[in-house]
Amino acid sequence: MSAIIEVQNLRKQYEEVEALKGIDLTVEEGEIFALLGPNGAGKTTRLSILATLRKPTSGKAMVLDKDVLRYREEIRQEIGIVFQEPALDERLSARDNLMLMALFYGIPRKKARQRAQEVLELLEITDFADRAPRKLSGGQKRKLELARAIIAEPKLLFLDEATLGLDVDSRRNFWDEVKKLSDKGSTIFLTTHYMEEAEVADRIALIDEGNIIAVDTPRALKERVGGGLIRLDTEDNEAVLDWLENQNLEAENSNEGLFIVSNDPSTLLPDILSNIEQKVTRAEIRQPSLEDVFLKLTGRSLKNGEAEEVESAKNEWMK
Amino acid sequence: MQGFWAVILRDLKRIWAEPFRLVSGLAQPLLYLFLLGSGIGAATQLGGGQYLQYIFPGVVALSLLFTANFAAISIVFDRETGFLKAVLVAPVSRPSVAVGKVCSGAIQALVQGVLLLIFAPMIGIYFGPLQLLLFVLFMILSALVFSAMGVAVATNFSSTEVFPVVLNAVLLPMFFLSGALYPLNTAPGWLQKLSYIDPVAYGVDLMRGSIMGKFYYPEWLSLAVLCFVGFILIWTAVKVFEKGEEI
Repeated sequence: MSAIIEVQNLRKQYEEVEALKGIDLTVEEGEIFALLGPNGAGKTTRLSILATLRKPTSGKAMVLDKDVLRYREEIRQEIGIVFQEPALDERLSARDNLMLMALFYGIPRKKARQRAQEVLELLEITDFADRAPRKLSGGQKRKLELARAIIAEPKLLFLDEATLGLDVDSRRNFWDEVKKLSDKGSTIFLTTHYMEEAEVADRIALIDEGNIIAVDTPRALKERVGGGLIRLDTEDNEAVLDWLENQNLEAENSNEGLFIVSNDPSTLLPDILSNIEQKVTRAEIRQPSLEDVFLKLTGRSLKNGEAEEVESAKNEWMK
Repeated sequence: MQGFWAVILRDLKRIWAEPFRLVSGLAQPLLYLFLLGSGIGAATQLGGGQYLQYIFPGVVALSLLFTANFAAISIVFDRETGFLKAVLVAPVSRPSVAVGKVCSGAIQALVQGVLLLIFAPMIGIYFGPLQLLLFVLFMILSALVFSAMGVAVATNFSSTEVFPVVLNAVLLPMFFLSGALYPLNTAPGWLQKLSYIDPVAYGVDLMRGSIMGKFYYPEWLSLAVLCFVGFILIWTAVKVFEKGEEI
């Protein structure tokens, strides 16, 4: 395997905000690589620089062994992108959209028609090939966006919050297709703030406030949290928290209840239950999720503020 | 090069999907020609019929000016819908996108202009072959310049609501100043001077001259001004597209 993306000390300064604070990153050929973090963490900025849409303030970024500042068109020839927002002509049919994009990538007319058909078949969307995107459902549209992105058989596929606003089924469906592409050898670089989506990745970079805080496989990341988590809800969480802290246990009170990190939760839980006086309304043991990893590394929840963060991601694009 | 054609092809496909726009676009110039023209013409020394012939090139210019400029709204629209991003991330050079947009706007304008030519015999204008050739050549040149104007302006806008308002505010004075509806040589001095900075005036004069055989500006000056302005505008548009990488 060789590196398909190499980033060194990449910075991006907007007028007042430093969106990227000097990051290093390597993505290997053939892997699925995910940037996971709350919106506003600089995910879109990073992806845009790698996809030649924005220029870094400083630092070096190589995509497919080419410098993103000097070889924009060469890189563009080899990459495909699914943006957060739609990027289709709403009035042309799905097939015409794909054909047109093929032409933009320099594929000759006859071959473009053929290629459009191939992609439609690959993603199993031939049924609505002749409908305009404005008449398609959210999930269908996203699949068409994916089709558009892979029309020129890119070596590297970028997915920027590609399933934003989709229901669970459509999302799963979308990722199934992405996995198929990956199995065929495409390298995939995605950004998301949905933990379960990042699970499809071979490696995940957790990012927060313009910094990368960890890069590893999903499994290794979860192991960092240790054994597991106990979630506890009682009639008086504050009091229980005090008690837990007196016992030198690592605990946190959130609006979803008390969370206790432990190397051996299955022994600890009965122990706690037999010792506290408060009535317990809920007790469970959870295997650590990426959410927990994020919580542990940053002290903040990935979920919180999702709604407002979605807005800020949009603003980020507008710049 | 193929990217350039793809830009044009895509715009034309859209027009084809909505042919009604072409027909409705004819309404404005025809209103000027037959309603305004007949009314004002009857009150001029020229008389109704001759006045219609006089303003015909002006009305063609009006049609080219507005159609070509408003065609550029597709750029603003594409930016709004996100389609522009898909194009800009494709391996198409920025000049091809800009020049493709200019040409596609000019083509749309020319289709309208040619449709208007059908009305020429109705008001007593009969083109000789050479006249027609010259007239169409000047139409093409004007359409390209007007379209470049639209593209240069559109590249700076991201709202399809603001763009038409701004465009109207710019185009109407240009049209009224151009001598499309009245002879510049009898206009007040300040108006004549102002018309020198109006590229539309040169386009109108070239087209009118090719029919009437008499030009207000020297022909070489008109050609030079139009080519120069067109070149500057296209250059501006390319620059904005290149800088606009950061969308």
